[in-house]
Amino acid sequence: MKNNHQQFIAVIIFLFCFTPFSALATPHGIVTIFHAGSLTVPMVAMEKAFEAKYPEVDIQREPSGSSKAARKISDLGKPCDIMAAADYKVIDKLLRPDFTDNNIRFASNRMVLCYTDQSRYADIISEKNWVAILQKPDVVWGHSAPDLDPCGYRTLMVLQLAEKYYQQPDLYQKTIANRPVRNVRPKAVELISLLQTGNMDYAWEYRSVAVQHNLQFVEMPDQINLGNYKFDADYAQATVEVSGKKPGTTMTMQGKSITYGITLLKDAPNREAATAFLAFMLDSSGGLKILEEMGQPPFVPARVATAEMRAVLPLPLQPLVTVQQ
Amino acid sequence: MITIDNLHIQLGGFNLRDINLQIAENDFFMLMGPSGAGKTIILEAIAGLVPVKSGRITVAGQDITHLPPEKRGISIVYQDYALFPHLTVANNIRYGLQFQKIEKSEGDKRLDQLLGLLNLQHLANRSPETLSGGEQQRVAMARALIVNPQVLLLDEPLSALDPRLREEFRVLLKQIHQQTEATILMVTHDFAEALALGQRGAIINMGKIEQSGTMEDLFQRPQSTMVAGFVGMKNLFSVSLQGETARIKGLQVQLGHRDSEGQGFIAIRPEDIVLSSGQLQSSMRNCFKGRVEQVISQGFYYEVHVNVDGVSFCALVTKGALLEMELQEGKEIYLFFKSTAIHTF
Amino acid sequence: MRYKDFFFWGTFACAVTVIAFITLPLLQMLSAPSLEVLLETIVDKDVFNSILLSLSAATLAALISFIFGTPLAYLLSRREFRGKRLVEGIIDLPIIIPHPVIGIAILSITGRNYWFGQFLTDLGIRIMGSVTGIVTVMVFVAIPFYIKAAKEGFDAISPRLENVSRSLGASMFSTFFRITFPLAWRSMLAGLIMACARAISEFGAIVIVAYHPMIAPVMIYERFESYGLKYSQPVAVWLIAVCLVLFLLLRILTTRQKKNV
Repeated sequence: MKNNHQQFIAVIIFLFCFTPFSALATPHGIVTIFHAGSLTVPMVAMEKAFEAKYPEVDIQREPSGSSKAARKISDLGKPCDIMAAADYKVIDKLLRPDFTDNNIRFASNRMVLCYTDQSRYADIISEKNWVAILQKPDVVWGHSAPDLDPCGYRTLMVLQLAEKYYQQPDLYQKTIANRPVRNVRPKAVELISLLQTGNMDYAWEYRSVAVQHNLQFVEMPDQINLGNYKFDADYAQATVEVSGKKPGTTMTMQGKSITYGITLLKDAPNREAATAFLAFMLDSSGGLKILEEMGQPPFVPARVATAEMRAVLPLPLQPLVTVQQ
Repeated sequence: MITIDNLHIQLGGFNLRDINLQIAENDFFMLMGPSGAGKTIILEAIAGLVPVKSGRITVAGQDITHLPPEKRGISIVYQDYALFPHLTVANNIRYGLQFQKIEKSEGDKRLDQLLGLLNLQHLANRSPETLSGGEQQRVAMARALIVNPQVLLLDEPLSALDPRLREEFRVLLKQIHQQTEATILMVTHDFAEALALGQRGAIINMGKIEQSGTMEDLFQRPQSTMVAGFVGMKNLFSVSLQGETARIKGLQVQLGHRDSEGQGFIAIRPEDIVLSSGQLQSSMRNCFKGRVEQVISQGFYYEVHVNVDGVSFCALVTKGALLEMELQEGKEIYLFFKSTAIHTF
Repeated sequence: MRYKDFFFWGTFACAVTVIAFITLPLLQMLSAPSLEVLLETIVDKDVFNSILLSLSAATLAALISFIFGTPLAYLLSRREFRGKRLVEGIIDLPIIIPHPVIGIAILSITGRNYWFGQFLTDLGIRIMGSVTGIVTVMVFVAIPFYIKAAKEGFDAISPRLENVSRSLGASMFSTFFRITFPLAWRSMLAGLIMACARAISEFGAIVIVAYHPMIAPVMIYERFESYGLKYSQPVAVWLIAVCLVLFLLLRILTTRQKKNV
């Protein structure tokens, strides 16, 4: 009798121990994501789809320039679960190894010159004459701040590459000379409202963003648009100095085909739900599909640089990435 | 001098209609009525400070209805004096001079004259906030007079003063009227005051002119119950007129003259009613016996209400008379009044 | 109150809480940077220019509010008219509308795609990214404060004073300058100070219309976002210090006058 009694109690306790755990198994709570401005539209769609699947989870996103997003984590210590950058290098340079041990490359993009049909010279602009038009004194054109937003320094890279490609030695100087500092905004996405209200004629953005906002745009040749990894050697010729980790310091960004990176941070307050989100996002029928639909070509599957990096990822994510330099 | 034709003013809650007035030159005209009747509004309309819906105002032959206030030459003195708090007394008074085309010496002369007339010399450099009510009043008067206005409008100038000052001021106003030969239009709700100062006047009630004419007319011959009540005719009765008599309920009153037939009113001033303990040998046609209902002290005199066959009369007696006749509630008393004291309308 | 009852202590506690709520964060901020850092910051040309820009643009905005707001405040004080409530409601709108919305609205109507913006462009007036744009936004957010204060000042002056002035021969214009203004100037000045303060502290609306040229709040924000608290605090300290000194001076000047009268 005594044994049965003891066994009975042990089973009850055993079961009791398991129940709370099984309840925890469903993701719930807040997931904080800092992401690049250019990812806003696809992120909103992913958020909706994920929250439909897991109603207990509340995704809270903060879009900004990627560099700024990184500094929110590194300098300001703002709590964050996931960070997605328009340039994966930003994660490597500003967040690894102190704040994260992983960096997943998941999509690409390319630079285009956006405009509306109200822009000056909209009726004649093309791949052939965009340089001349941007240099016209009555044309208002802009880009985002290189210190805060990869789209900003990428614009400068495109212009450097264009100089070599079109063989116009003063192209960079002359074009930038026609872009006073008031036409520079912290976030590239701000430029869109300037275009739409007629305060600006031309702005540099990612192709995906132009598509998502129904803007007209001029396609650039692959040699200069930072969109084709085959031209990485050409892209590497462009360099831009941007502010470094500390004020007064700088770091050099080198041209490379646009690669978006995403990371799960070490101090993520809601690791479990964040992992579930990443599992959804990096799924080829989930987030990656949404990206594709929104005009942003994804890497299927997503990539990490080394096998060690893959090994430190949470288990559910490991099958979703491959190792590729 | 001033003619007001069919004036119609609508302002805020006030609606004044069919205002017709005639004020002669150098008149001291009284505008009277209960509070809220619209008297100040009429003053302000004459001064051009409130908009006029329809009608006409003529001053000295000139139609000023649409003239802005600064061109009218009409000064106004408000009940609260409205002195400019940021200017000294002297500068308050002098204010209007800068808009007149006169020499500085002339202006200084006028200032001195008024300071003297109104006894303000010692206050010239004071700030208005330090003055007493009476002093402020005098400054306001001086300020209004220095520009030699053709018309002077006074809005209840005496009501904020204590009785002693009021007396002083009445004298002052009379003086000013005589010396400046201005046409003065004064608003008051106190009929006694109006009677003391004014020559002619009008009584306004609820936005309409009830009656206008000489002060005596208003005093002795009110044309309506409202006016009668206002001028202090306390014995107002609704009567049926029958030739030479008037019937107040069961009482018959001798009128002494033929009047119309039908319904009407009679009014008798309380001062004209004589009370006596016994029958009096007199020529007074009306004699009644009644009972004292109520004795109300009015300070130096007493109001005695006497009931005669259900009709209540009000008489005034001195304290001496009260004691002599031993007047108190319930006492039987005789009531007399002349038929000439009766006013019918 | 002789005895200290619950009412007294309750009131006292609330007062202390509110004062602490306001001063604690400011005290922390003011004491955080070292003197060395503060000196470094103010000699930085960009910082100096941003604070200068903030002050001068706000002063200009206050002046514009004064010129255009005074007649309106006077009208609201003296006249009744149909739709007056609506007008008063409209004047309150800039206070209620969220600041970014203000910036977006102004950007939209001054862009070339809108007839008004096209008109401005033809005249050569540029709003986006210009001092003109900054002052425009500042006037938008500051003018309600001026109008309210000026109106209250006019309300406190009995219309009878103005009536007497006119009866004595002064035109409406003369009356305003000789009677109304001398009696109301203190309220008008208080209104200007409020408007100026409001203009200096505006951020959300201006940052949308003009990121450059940089007013001080935008500079503080950018430094904060780029490098964090340590780098932006000194600028904030300088801005607060300069504003505090200016406004205290003005307050002292006006209250001293009050006591004299």
